[in-house]
Amino acid sequence: MRELSTNMSSIFDKLNDLKNLFKFGEKIVPIIQSLIEFMKEIVPLLETINSSISDTANKMPQAANQISNVTNATELATTEILDIVDKITNIVVEVESRAKKALEDRERRARLYAKLRETVQGNGDALETIDELEAADAPTKDLEKTIAQLGEVKDNTHQITLSLQVQDITAQQLAAANHLIQSVHERLATLIADIDHSEIKDDIRSLDIDVPEGVDFDPKASYNKDASRQGEVDRILNQQNENKASQEEIDKLFS
Amino acid sequence: MDLKFLVVDDSVTMRRIVINSLKNLGYENYVEAADGQEALAKLNADSEINFIITDWNMPNLSGLEFTKQVRGNPDSANIPILMVTTRGIKEDIVEALQAKVSNYVVKPFTPQILKEKIEQILENV
Repeated sequence: MRELSTNMSSIFDKLNDLKNLFKFGEKIVPIIQSLIEFMKEIVPLLETINSSISDTANKMPQAANQISNVTNATELATTEILDIVDKITNIVVEVESRAKKALEDRERRARLYAKLRETVQGNGDALETIDELEAADAPTKDLEKTIAQLGEVKDNTHQITLSLQVQDITAQQLAAANHLIQSVHERLATLIADIDHSEIKDDIRSLDIDVPEGVDFDPKASYNKDASRQGEVDRILNQQNENKASQEEIDKLFS
Repeated sequence: MDLKFLVVDDSVTMRRIVINSLKNLGYENYVEAADGQEALAKLNADSEINFIITDWNMPNLSGLEFTKQVRGNPDSANIPILMVTTRGIKEDIVEALQAKVSNYVVKPFTPQILKEKIEQILENV
């Protein structure tokens, strides 16, 4: 009899638990309904985000290729400019050489005129003819100025050559930008691969960024003609040379 | 002293600029290489090379690694090396010195700086 009573008590406890469960269910159902509503709204939004990531990732190889094209185009243009500058320099050097030769000839003629004047001393007609001959040399009087100007042209063409160092420096900056795009592209591709969306995954996989292998660049490269930059390098070089024994200081820089 | 330069840079533009500058300074004897690997091959093949001007950032073998290999070879260990690079921060300069470059020039450089550095190096040879 006691056993029956214990069993009945256990059944009532279970029924009570069941009743509590239904009560909890009544409370939880509206929350689940809200969650379903939320999911209905969020799913299209997630699809849009997926599609947006996919679009962005698809455009990255194009951006990277355009950057590579810019580097190639500037290198080609720089080579052309260097070729032209070399031609100008060669012509200037040739003209300068001729002008210097003409200057030497003029000086030689001046010495000959002086000698001739001594020889024909007292002969008025001869002296007059010599004066006329010397006057005919007048166009060569500007030779010194011409040589100086040719020197200026040469310096300027050399300066153009030096300024073209900008091509190498910008090429390194562009390589750094390309590397960055490649890294972001790889991460996005991984992210999209994690989302089960085979269509997008295939799109991304088919669009690899074509970055030349083994490219090395300085991401901090800058075209800075400020002389203080080399001054700073020299200061560090001198400091290090003076303190050669102080390896500790060098080590500190890397600690 | 007759100098034969090895000019190492992956940029065709930079090689031409360095070589033009050398010619303007009266140095006509040079060979060129596009990276450290090619430079090592040229150095091994040409015993007349007695001055190296190298960039740092290059594919295949960087200027820094190239310098270490040159210094590690008894045949080339004493050849002067001038590093010409865009890298200008203190840590880079110290790293280059530890690799035993002879001197260091930051790009963009002027012919005057190049001349000074070559002369400084030659004074210490």
